[in-house]
Amino acid sequence: MAMPCIAVEGLTKVYETPEKEPGFLNAVRSFFSRRIRLVHAVNGLSFSIEEGELVGFLGANGAGKTTTLKMLSGLLTPTSGAATVLGHVPWRREAQLQRRFSLVLGQRSQLWWEIPAQETFRLNQAIYGIAEQDYRRNLGELVDLLDLSECLNVPVKKLSLGQRMRAELAAALLHRPSVLFLDEPTLGLDVVMQKKIRAFIKDYNARHKATILLTSHNMDDVAELCSRVVVIERGRLLYDGGLKDLVARHARHKIIRVDFAGPSPADLSSLGTVVSKGGTRAVLEVPREKVSERAAELLRRWPVEDLTIEEISVDDVVRGIFSGSERGAAA
Amino acid sequence: MRKYLAAYGIALQNVLQRRSSLIMDRVGGVAVLASLYYFWLALMNGHKGFFGYSRAQMISYVLAINVLRSFVLTGRGWELVGDISGGRISSYLVRPMSYGGYSLSLDLAQKTVYLGSAIIEIAIFSALVRARFYVPRHWAAWLGFAAATAMSSLLFFIMEFMVSALAFWTSESGGPLFCFELFIQFAAGAFFPLDVLPKAIRHILDLSPFPYLVFFPINIYLERARPGETLRVLAIQGAWLALMLFLASRLWRRGLRSYAAEGG
Amino acid sequence: MTKAFSRYLRIWARMASMSLKAQMSHPLGSVGFLLGKLIRILFFFAFVIAIFRNVKTLGGYDLADMALFFLTFNLVDLGAQIFFRGIYGARRVVEDGDFDFYLVQPCSPLFRIMFATLDFLDLATALPVFVLLAMVFERLPALGLTRYALYALLTLNGVAIAMAIHVLVAGLAVRTQELENSIWVYRDLMFMGKFPIDIYGPTARWALTFVVPVAVMCTFPAKALLGLLSPGWILYSFGFCLALLAFSRRYWLNSVSRYTSTSS
Repeated sequence: MAMPCIAVEGLTKVYETPEKEPGFLNAVRSFFSRRIRLVHAVNGLSFSIEEGELVGFLGANGAGKTTTLKMLSGLLTPTSGAATVLGHVPWRREAQLQRRFSLVLGQRSQLWWEIPAQETFRLNQAIYGIAEQDYRRNLGELVDLLDLSECLNVPVKKLSLGQRMRAELAAALLHRPSVLFLDEPTLGLDVVMQKKIRAFIKDYNARHKATILLTSHNMDDVAELCSRVVVIERGRLLYDGGLKDLVARHARHKIIRVDFAGPSPADLSSLGTVVSKGGTRAVLEVPREKVSERAAELLRRWPVEDLTIEEISVDDVVRGIFSGSERGAAA
Repeated sequence: MRKYLAAYGIALQNVLQRRSSLIMDRVGGVAVLASLYYFWLALMNGHKGFFGYSRAQMISYVLAINVLRSFVLTGRGWELVGDISGGRISSYLVRPMSYGGYSLSLDLAQKTVYLGSAIIEIAIFSALVRARFYVPRHWAAWLGFAAATAMSSLLFFIMEFMVSALAFWTSESGGPLFCFELFIQFAAGAFFPLDVLPKAIRHILDLSPFPYLVFFPINIYLERARPGETLRVLAIQGAWLALMLFLASRLWRRGLRSYAAEGG
Repeated sequence: MTKAFSRYLRIWARMASMSLKAQMSHPLGSVGFLLGKLIRILFFFAFVIAIFRNVKTLGGYDLADMALFFLTFNLVDLGAQIFFRGIYGARRVVEDGDFDFYLVQPCSPLFRIMFATLDFLDLATALPVFVLLAMVFERLPALGLTRYALYALLTLNGVAIAMAIHVLVAGLAVRTQELENSIWVYRDLMFMGKFPIDIYGPTARWALTFVVPVAVMCTFPAKALLGLLSPGWILYSFGFCLALLAFSRRYWLNSVSRYTSTSS
């Protein structure tokens, strides 16, 4: 059996952080000696990803997503556990691996601020040792797809956030990496720009068979791009599988929307949780297995103009999972 | 007033919190102190005095430099440049406290720690090398020195504030600020007493506010200035202070206007 | 090997051209920095000259000797400043997370951090130093070619030691992230190299030779030129440099393995 493109086994990262206590006396005391606290950012995480997959990596803030990405990129050495990317151990930082992957951190920039993005592209050409004709071809393709032609010769500090993010992606993809780690690629962008970036990622994945691991707080990113998701909570694996299954498993309810022929009846709570009610309309949340029974009851008891049954949105499901874990983390 | 005290208190903790920065800063200061001390010691070898300074006075000048560097020549210039060009300034402006007062509180916190540290350093250093330093005989010298130092400290703060406020108009104010800081160390007398310089340069410098930052305060401490001259120095310091304060507040208002015009 | 070398040379040339373009994009800031540096050199030179109007020798050295020591310090200091300027941005690089990008790219992150900028401004400051040095050489008695060769070698040795120290500083920045001032301590300690170490007390002399090698970097080359350095000390200089380079490399690698990337 072929080795998976990314394999993670029992990955663990423990941080030591000095404890800072408020108060002047504590400040003086900690000047002389400091107490250390251990934080398990990632705790025995295992999963694997095949070549060409586009996987969503989800979790609440502080769940350990970025730490995991940083270990897979070789920025951090894990406290214990193992991982390989394209058969290499990432934190050995071997050039053979580095030439074949890229890391994009939303709201971070590798572009030189005062000079045009083109300059950084040229620097990356030298760093990755990209031959001139490859460079021209790749750059041409990226400029086309990312609509960059007007941004190349403008100092980076004069670009808009959306332009900068696209230039950032171009800088990261000039050497045509086959593995791509994207951390919040649409953070802070407007809806139109988000769509552009998503379309580009999808296209890059399909065109170059690239393996992509993506974290995002934006559920549209995940819903549109990822058929598979890995969910972690406080550094541990919570779920690994299809996005649809995740929704099915956690969405124990469905939504019934009803349009009554007359004013909506006063008491619907015996049928399900009333999400909203007004005029002739009502929205109910009903346990999955009771949906057809309750719908039939609605139709039987009142004159109904229209009735639809819907799944709860991905957004709501994932938010539901995280709000549980976030409460746990805060405690 | 209470909010500035609170800012001062928090800043004090902050200075102590950044332990390694503090230690590094101070070690560097001691290195400069030691090299100047030994330089003058070598120079004084076989001489009774120099440029009208007795041995003890010259040694004291060098030691006093360490104190005044810690108390006078510290400001919030780079932070102001960062706040303006980083756009953080607007978040301060909406708070019910003046930015100048706020950064002065922060600066005072650093001055407090640095002054304490400087005095300890001097005590240890002069004990180690058995330095014989000059102690003023008359209480008026102490009083004049304290008053002059307090004023020069404020004077430097305001002048550095003005240079840094260039950041309102250009993103390149780091260069002028850097130049200003280097120049002022020489022109203020924070490397060597200004008597060393040729007369012509000295006369020009005396027309500027710079010697009033370090050179004249130390001269008051060394009782090289007669009582009348001490009063004159204090009066000129006061005049410079008033002028700079006036200019700084105008510059600040204009800067804010141009900042707002550009939309931050 | 040669392939890797030529690739690194290309990367360096690109970074140099980029830093030139970046520096030219803010002329005002650059002029400020340049002016500040010129002021520093000229003021100090004027200071040394002014001193020698009053004394004939200092610690056994005359004006030309003293100027030689001062200019040698400047050579070593400028060598480090011009080529390893990038280190001054190390904290920013680590804090802003640029270092993350250095680490994931197939190019030594140490190389990136050290050589991130070539300082063309300091290249300009080097000019007056060379002119002054030529004037000093003229005033020295005629010396053999070997003396000059030794001087050049030991000066380069000093720059190499400076490089090792810069690597240590980069390691510290990567390791602790909160550290801002270690490079400034180095600058302040280097201040002691402006004068020959003979003027310092015995403890300071010992420390400057064996612990913080300011003497090896700045004083020894000049002494060798004047024929005052024994072969033993020459060997010691080169040995110290090699040992420090090896140590700094190990320290750097260890620091990178402990790197905790900034949380985002």
